Amino acid sequence: MTEPVTVDTPADKPRRVAPFVVLAVAVVMAALFFVLASGTSGSDDEVGIIDSPLLGRAAPTVRSTTLDGEPFDLARRKGSWVVVNFFNSTCAPCRAEHPALVEFAEQQKSFGADGAELYTMLQINDDIDDVKNFFLTRGGDWPIVRDDEGTTNVAFGVALVPETFIIAPDGTVVLRWAGQIDADTLSRLVQQQREMYAGA
Amino acid sequence: MSSRSKWKRWPGWLALLLVLACFLAYGTAKDSGPLTPEERVELITQRIACPVCDGETVYESANPASAAIRSEVKAQVAAGVSTDDEIVAYIVQQFGAQTQLLPTASGFDALVWVLPAAALVCAGVGLFFAFRRWQRNVDAVPDDTDRAMVEAALAAESADVEADTGR
Repeated sequence: MTEPVTVDTPADKPRRVAPFVVLAVAVVMAALFFVLASGTSGSDDEVGIIDSPLLGRAAPTVRSTTLDGEPFDLARRKGSWVVVNFFNSTCAPCRAEHPALVEFAEQQKSFGADGAELYTMLQINDDIDDVKNFFLTRGGDWPIVRDDEGTTNVAFGVALVPETFIIAPDGTVVLRWAGQIDADTLSRLVQQQREMYAGA
Repeated sequence: MSSRSKWKRWPGWLALLLVLACFLAYGTAKDSGPLTPEERVELITQRIACPVCDGETVYESANPASAAIRSEVKAQVAAGVSTDDEIVAYIVQQFGAQTQLLPTASGFDALVWVLPAAALVCAGVGLFFAFRRWQRNVDAVPDDTDRAMVEAALAAESADVEADTGR
């Protein structure tokens, strides 16, 4: 029996394109994996000093009213060290932090006119009656500022409360603290900023 | 392939190109009229991710931070000073790049827009060459070498048959 006749023509030759395509896809996937793996993963529950686009810049304009109905303008606080604490009465860490703020306020009072001024900044949808009851029962006689339009929270970039900002006498934001803070840490940070400010 | 059959296919391709051009022209020139402030707020807040919650836009999130951002966007739209992009840029500046849902068309983020388009073009070019190759194989006209091969194969087969019947 005669062997079947087979003739190779150029069109019959299999083109080895698939391995190159697979290689290219693998390279792209590896590059994407590297980029994603080396990216910084944001942590929502970060506690401590954090970065802010406001640091070293003038504090945002804050014009509102306090819970007592008094007008509040942050720009008029220039000349004093100001601590702004963002708060929500439904937030457990905010409630837990409160005794520390009461202690801090007392510490600063002992410095007289040189002591830092403390302000509580509310969030947009906090219940005003709940806030009033909270401060009535837990203490705290510093001004509580409303933010009914949410403008101040957005201007400071506050997403999670509690957050605390320290503002120098020239109106510059010098420190941002995310999460709960204790009285000694807050006093120490204010003092550090005061010394750096005096040395500058 | 004869030059006549080559020209026969052109009307189909031209019609396809014409339809594509019409769709593109309609898509780019389509104007649904000016947006109301509410529609603008809706569109802008859908472009911003909730800075606290996972997988939600500011438009749909009930978080206080999202509520504050919605209110701020509403105020800026009502003021009529900033464009949509400027409002989104302001929010992203305050809350960080993770709140920007639509990647920008510059820098590394531009790959998100460029890669799918490049993949589409590559796939189109690949299909074009593949179709052409298949078509060339179908249109192949046997030449003298092919005829000689067929004759040789037939002769060999008939020789086999004769050998079998003569056995």
